[in-house]
Amino acid sequence: MASSDFRMDVDLACRAAEEFVTLYYETIDKRRRQLIKLYMDTATLVWNGNAISGQAPLIEFFEMLPSSEFQVNMFDCQPVHEQATQGQKTVLVVAHGTVKFEGNKQHYFNQNFLLTLHATPSNSVWKIASDCFRFQDWAM
Amino acid sequence: MEPHTQVRPHRSAEADGCCKWTQHDDRFVGFAGKKRKGRGPFRAKMSTEGPHNYRKGGYGPNPRSRFEDEGGDIAMTDTYELPYSRFAPYGRGGRRRDDRGGYMKGKRHVDLHSDGPSHKKAEGSDDSKPWFLVTIPHGKKYEQSWLINVLQKACSVPFTPIEYYCDHSRAHFYVDDANTARALKRISRTLTDSENFKITILTRSCAPPVNSKEMKDTDVVHLKSCMQKRYDGSQLALDMKSLHNDPDLLQNHVDMMLNRRSCMLAMLQIIEENVPELLSLDLSNNDLLKLDDLRSISTKAPNLKILNLSHNSLKTDRELDKIKGLKIEQLWLEGNPLCQTFRDKTLYISAVRERFPKLLQLDGQELVPPINFDVETPTLLPPTKGSYLQNDEIKGLVLRFLQQYFTCYDGEDRQGLLNVYHDEACCSLCIPYFQGQNPSRSSLGEYFKDCRNLKKLKDPSIRHKLLKHKRLNIVGFLNELPRTQHDLNSFVVDITAASNTQLCFVVNGIFKEVEGPSRDPVRAFSRVFIAVPSNDGGMLLVNDGIFIRNATTEEIRKAFATPAPTPSSSPVPVMASVPQDMVQAFIQLSGMNAEWSQKAATYTLCNVECAFSAATVKMYVDACARIFFTEYA
Repeated sequence: MASSDFRMDVDLACRAAEEFVTLYYETIDKRRRQLIKLYMDTATLVWNGNAISGQAPLIEFFEMLPSSEFQVNMFDCQPVHEQATQGQKTVLVVAHGTVKFEGNKQHYFNQNFLLTLHATPSNSVWKIASDCFRFQDWAM
Repeated sequence: MEPHTQVRPHRSAEADGCCKWTQHDDRFVGFAGKKRKGRGPFRAKMSTEGPHNYRKGGYGPNPRSRFEDEGGDIAMTDTYELPYSRFAPYGRGGRRRDDRGGYMKGKRHVDLHSDGPSHKKAEGSDDSKPWFLVTIPHGKKYEQSWLINVLQKACSVPFTPIEYYCDHSRAHFYVDDANTARALKRISRTLTDSENFKITILTRSCAPPVNSKEMKDTDVVHLKSCMQKRYDGSQLALDMKSLHNDPDLLQNHVDMMLNRRSCMLAMLQIIEENVPELLSLDLSNNDLLKLDDLRSISTKAPNLKILNLSHNSLKTDRELDKIKGLKIEQLWLEGNPLCQTFRDKTLYISAVRERFPKLLQLDGQELVPPINFDVETPTLLPPTKGSYLQNDEIKGLVLRFLQQYFTCYDGEDRQGLLNVYHDEACCSLCIPYFQGQNPSRSSLGEYFKDCRNLKKLKDPSIRHKLLKHKRLNIVGFLNELPRTQHDLNSFVVDITAASNTQLCFVVNGIFKEVEGPSRDPVRAFSRVFIAVPSNDGGMLLVNDGIFIRNATTEEIRKAFATPAPTPSSSPVPVMASVPQDMVQAFIQLSGMNAEWSQKAATYTLCNVECAFSAATVKMYVDACARIFFTEYA
């Protein structure tokens, strides 16, 4: 990968990550039913050690998850090397912040996503290939 | 919450906000079967858990609980309590009441210079020891030992700080005499820190710290047995009416008032540990003035439906805001001054219902049914589990890798990691960000310059600069970070994607820094690794995202402890120490020095995982030397 290509990849990753982080947490807080559209059919979520794979189980999971108020304080991203993704554009997104689930106390959380770009002749969309969420409970 | 996990393993999940109520039900059924009114749950608990445990769990000097309970309380009462004491000075009159409640006295703002007689009065007659809260604004950024040392040197009166804690950016501790407080106040703004900031010291008289006063272990035992006696298991009801007149307590000369913070919190703690399934709680006739300390009842007894607060001293309906949103169906408030503040009953009912929309009965009278729609939202979170490792094959691969990686990472020199990263790999680091806090001055300051928080950093060139690209840069960068020692037993690993071409896994764990200005600070980290298979059958990292934060007191307490029997939820195995004869074999066979032989032996052990002979050692020495130490060959 030439260095100019790498710079372009980084810029693309940053733009995708920025839009994604805003959209994802807005959707999970306010339009939970739409959230599944952000995931690939084969996506895997590991939520505090619970693994959930595939559309139907994910829909069920998000339905039973109490309503949420997320606040993202920090996020970062990296383009994922082609060798790992067989040429498919992929971005690693890391987010950290706080979340208050209804009826529960506030938690800090860390969440890692792998986003992949799915291009069709007419348009191209980013989808979540994998998602790893954990509470990080600690004092300030 | 560690002590509790041993007694009832599922508590740990609940401590994280996840509740498995079915288990409580099981327990309750078993107990109800015995038909012994109000005994079972408490009794089981009493035999396994001593009062010492109890205090450790709930009342230890934990900065987090400090922040939530004590600090917040002080700060808040300070601001919005003033009007009360000005317009409705109920705390001052000749009310017959034990004065040790402390926070409700409205007499805390005593001027230090005019203390003496007035001060003595302010602190109550039943406990002559005055207490002062010393606050250092921005004190959180200092190491506690450094700060205390500086203050002790400068202060004209020798003192021992009590219950040091931090909230927001401030540091606080207590001292127990007015002389010390005055002497500390005198040195305010006379000291400067390394950044040339003047250290401000604020003092004010205050209630005794909860931890060092009142609820002695023996008192907790009395309270517990008293609650046991007053609990009706068949109704899931706890009757705490007129606790201070309880004959058993009186007979034992135990002075217990539920309007005291420590007592209320102790009661809630006992409820949480013994009868979280509680349905009904009677707190009538306890001279309750405020409901601040009852706030946590919603998490301690989430099923609570019936609450009796009648015949207490609640002044206004605003007190109810403290427990607003409780899903109670029956509430008693009669006999509180607040009932007299409404012109008519309708206003009273609507004020109460505003706080408790699901209420069906108030003071024993049926209310018009609440407005209900059938969209009851879930509030139970899935239980938090340990590592998710997919299958044994991948688990073995990843755990071996981590063992190898962090052995090298914790070494003197991280150059060895060159062989672990792909030539085109990426790596970046982040620390938490808080509104209004300058991270460069936090204790994580040494990581701040490398922190790549895209939420704050918009400049593309800075974004590029902070993303380390190519393995030489990455290892160079990692080599600049503080030397570390990771606690492998603390690791929680989630494998989130595994295919023929990539492996993505997230590692959460604890490490300590073994060099640098501050003494062995303990950090928590979360790292996401993406790896591709390497030609030699191992793996190469193509992405490494590092997140570092300060460890919690609880994490620090547990870290680097003697390996306890690993609970099934965190399946990272404890690696046996490397047998010395193996190290010797390495030295002889490879000619490497003892240190490198030790590392090679560790590495080999990770890869062999079986009994070894000199022959296998020879085989692996060659392989290891090739794979892991090429740079040094």
